[in-house]
Amino acid sequence: MKKMMAMLLTGAMVLSLTACGNGSSGSTPAQSESKFGESEAAAEADKEESAPEKSSGPVTLNVTTTFAGEDTNAQNYQDAIAAWQDETGNKINDASGSSSETFKARVISDFEMGSEPDVLFYFNGVDSNPFVEAGKVVSIDEIRQTYPEYAANMKDGMMGASPVDGKNYSVPVNGYWEGLFVNKAVCEAAGVEIPTADTTWDEFMDICQKIKDAGYTPIAASFAEIPHYWFEFCIYNYLTPATHNILPESSDDEHGQAWISGIGDMKVLYEKGFLPENTLSATDGETFQLFIDGKAAFLIDGSWKVGGIEGATDDVDNFTVTYVPGKGERKSTDIIGGLSSGWYITKKAWDDPEKQKVCVEFISYMTSDEMVSNFASVSATALKNGTQVDESQLSSLAVAGLDMVAGATGMAGAVQDQVTQEARVPVFNGMPDIVTGKADIKESVEELLKLVAEGQQ
Amino acid sequence: MSSNIYKNKKPIIFFLVPAFAFLVIFLYYPFFQNILNSFKAINNLGSSAKGWNDPWYTNYVELCKDTNIRAALINTIKMIAATIIGQLGIAIVLALMVDNISKGQKFFRTVYFFPIVIAATALGLLFNLVFLYDKGMLNQLREIFGAAKLIDFKDNSHAMLTMMIPVTWQYVGFYFIILITGLNNISDELYEAATIDGASRLQRVRYISLPLLYNVICTCGVLAVTGALKVFDLPWIMFPKGMPSNSTWLTGTYMYYHAFESHNVDYSSAISVLIVVLGVITAKIVNAVFKEKDY
Amino acid sequence: MDMARGDNIGKKAYHKFSFGMTGVYAVLIGWALTTIYPLFWILMNSFKNKKLIRSDSFSLPVGETFTLDNYKTAFERVNILGAYRNSLVISLSVAAAVILLAGLASYALVRYDFKLKGLLNSMVVAGMMFPAFATIIPVIRMMNVIGLANTNQIPKSLLAVILPQIAGNLSFAIVVLRGYIGGLPVELEEAAYMEGCNIFQLFFKVVMPLCKPSFATVGIFSFLWSYNDLFTQSFFLKTKPEYSVTVLLSLLTSQEGTNYGLMASSVSLIVFPLLIVYLFLQKYIVKGLTAGAVKG
Repeated sequence: MKKMMAMLLTGAMVLSLTACGNGSSGSTPAQSESKFGESEAAAEADKEESAPEKSSGPVTLNVTTTFAGEDTNAQNYQDAIAAWQDETGNKINDASGSSSETFKARVISDFEMGSEPDVLFYFNGVDSNPFVEAGKVVSIDEIRQTYPEYAANMKDGMMGASPVDGKNYSVPVNGYWEGLFVNKAVCEAAGVEIPTADTTWDEFMDICQKIKDAGYTPIAASFAEIPHYWFEFCIYNYLTPATHNILPESSDDEHGQAWISGIGDMKVLYEKGFLPENTLSATDGETFQLFIDGKAAFLIDGSWKVGGIEGATDDVDNFTVTYVPGKGERKSTDIIGGLSSGWYITKKAWDDPEKQKVCVEFISYMTSDEMVSNFASVSATALKNGTQVDESQLSSLAVAGLDMVAGATGMAGAVQDQVTQEARVPVFNGMPDIVTGKADIKESVEELLKLVAEGQQ
Repeated sequence: MSSNIYKNKKPIIFFLVPAFAFLVIFLYYPFFQNILNSFKAINNLGSSAKGWNDPWYTNYVELCKDTNIRAALINTIKMIAATIIGQLGIAIVLALMVDNISKGQKFFRTVYFFPIVIAATALGLLFNLVFLYDKGMLNQLREIFGAAKLIDFKDNSHAMLTMMIPVTWQYVGFYFIILITGLNNISDELYEAATIDGASRLQRVRYISLPLLYNVICTCGVLAVTGALKVFDLPWIMFPKGMPSNSTWLTGTYMYYHAFESHNVDYSSAISVLIVVLGVITAKIVNAVFKEKDY
Repeated sequence: MDMARGDNIGKKAYHKFSFGMTGVYAVLIGWALTTIYPLFWILMNSFKNKKLIRSDSFSLPVGETFTLDNYKTAFERVNILGAYRNSLVISLSVAAAVILLAGLASYALVRYDFKLKGLLNSMVVAGMMFPAFATIIPVIRMMNVIGLANTNQIPKSLLAVILPQIAGNLSFAIVVLRGYIGGLPVELEEAAYMEGCNIFQLFFKVVMPLCKPSFATVGIFSFLWSYNDLFTQSFFLKTKPEYSVTVLLSLLTSQEGTNYGLMASSVSLIVFPLLIVYLFLQKYIVKGLTAGAVKG
């Protein structure tokens, strides 16, 4: 590893030297003082600024975000950085991409090779572990030692602490919640009431039975591809907002038992025929379409699906979102949600005297109350003052989402975010075998826990 | 095999060095790293290894025990059979037909090419809608003809077929182009001479086209086998994660899955090593079966 | 590609119209329908409201359901012309380099007998199977070291894509060209040799012209794969001015994959310009090739 780093540093230095040599216009003397690690970035910035009028003041920031493609905030982001560049005269090299697996691989490998951006908007869960562990991003505490007002408008407890050391590294903008989306027409046709904050799990089972008897599919879900949402709520039913996020130590402790009972409930859903007939062979896209086409009544999904539903139907008023009925300790109004991404400043930029202040200013600009309200719209935020959203601009579905969050009595993050993809395999990918009885629930959970333990070594 | 011209072997180096330099730098060196990676613990594509596996060959032991890889290998063998019989067979027939018609050669050549230019995401969506359970094109057609029950084309008993048909169809055009190019390389004089000797069209195909095409068919055989071993995009879009219940894995999709979905990059590296080894062996077998001839 | 034989056959009237021929045409047209339909389907759906694509994808977009929205969105958000230019630069360079390098290598592999031949042949076959995601990380590292990646300079970024793509397409090209060159009668080369050609003249003046259709085929495939290879491109083309068409349009459609309307329009925008250019250039490619091919 050390060898490699040395190689990379040498490479970076060689690069910066050649860059200096090639640059037609003179390089600034500050260049030679910059440290190894930054030389590449500095060289880059230097090149950018070789344009005549930009010799001193403006700074070029390399920014990478997930605000791209179909992200609802892609346009908001473009507008915001355009405005910021106009206001400050600084320049942004935007290398944003949609958060696909390829994009994640690119971000991680950039960090590995010392070519990370200056400012990054990225996930704060296990996805961020590689660069947090390597100390390549700066914690909020450290930033506040120099800039005490940094992210002062956010609730520290909600900023999305890193799974590595529990410290805050990123400033969140918009969060997510998960809820029960309802196709009203199906409920009406089946003669059932739409679940409310007071509906219990048992009542919900009765509702599903009635819908099934009326010839509709109660629940649109692909247990073959995306069983995650039902997994969350089914085990949540045996826990509370305070305890949901604690991983079981073993399959025998309280949490392990909750997981086993919860997955048992998923099996019941399957056995009772509440899922689409082809739930074990259909993709999530196919089951979602059943919900849109009025063939299925319920769907658990995240706040991002509000846009998905608005885009997929002509009659958005036919859809609403409500609490997932709870049982036991968990009240129906205890929801799942959190803030899964945030703005990071990389160590590389922080150690660069030219860029440090600009990075802080840029993120402060992007996380002001006003900007966050604009980005967050219907989703959760960490703002101390809450968001100011103009409800008249929103669809009835989005308003229902806001109401749901407003009426929530408790909120827990998704526990799956603490389980690496690799460790999820036995339960999530094994779900078809579990619900058909080919695999034992307890054994599958134990296997998952074993993989989690191996991953922590 | 070679004539006197090729006794002096000095020029070889100028012919081979440029191409093999590229291969070594951009394929073999990275792949050598990949082999090393298969002995390490790596979670994310692009992140550095956490250290060596303990024992270092863990992934290969795992490979022997993994039931999914077994399913993947069996499915891949089926896929190889389908590509050789389906893709190559259909392509040969179509190429010979097109070569023997007088009008519309250009047209068929162009349109048979279409499936290759369309991105797999779009083809995947199209085929998903064709095979959709409730209710895709096929189930709608069946309904019109009076079928009462919907068929789940993606269930355990239909899945492999539902996967192989689009993949086969997609690549027929590819082999077709390669074969028709080979046919065009055959000089017209041969056909003329044969015609003068009174050979029928079928005889010309049998005694001129096919034998002279032998080399190219052999090439296609190698391409078909290696293609089947690594194909992943269209199958992955139609049957992600080996759905239903791990029955549709192919070596290609299973490798992709471990690289991007399960974040078990080292295991994915081990699978890619397996694929390359199998590919070289099967290519040798294909070559031996076809026994390259010279003309 | 090459129409020389088609025309000749017509003139020489080998074939009379017959019953068998009708059957042949029936089969050919039948297959053609299956290959044309998907493209038609995509084009058709690109003019449809995205809401209809999943529920009603097999009907024509006429009257109320016809919309240009998908294209509007695509054009509003992005600089598509610059992206076409980048794509063309990348793919043409790749195709040209592959033709030349693979041609030289396969010629030697076919005509010469030497010790390492078996090994090299196996290397080529193995090279076809290295998955891009198994080799990409060391390649990125190399590009960083030699200063082609992360420079925010368009030519360097394009070169960073071109080099690995050449390597990625070489194996396939060598395998295919080996097959074609192996089919050439060696007597032609002997005759040219007698007339005083040296070995390189043999390659450039005899083998290459004789195999022009084959080189064209290999070039076209290399071009296509380079053009469609989203994976390598998305690692090196990071900022907007560097985007290729494929990267650009994938960004429009990737998230959740729900916007099928945009997907249909972006596939159309990727595929149709290519097809149109191909159809126009085909004439010239054919002319250029016929001159060489007939002499043989």
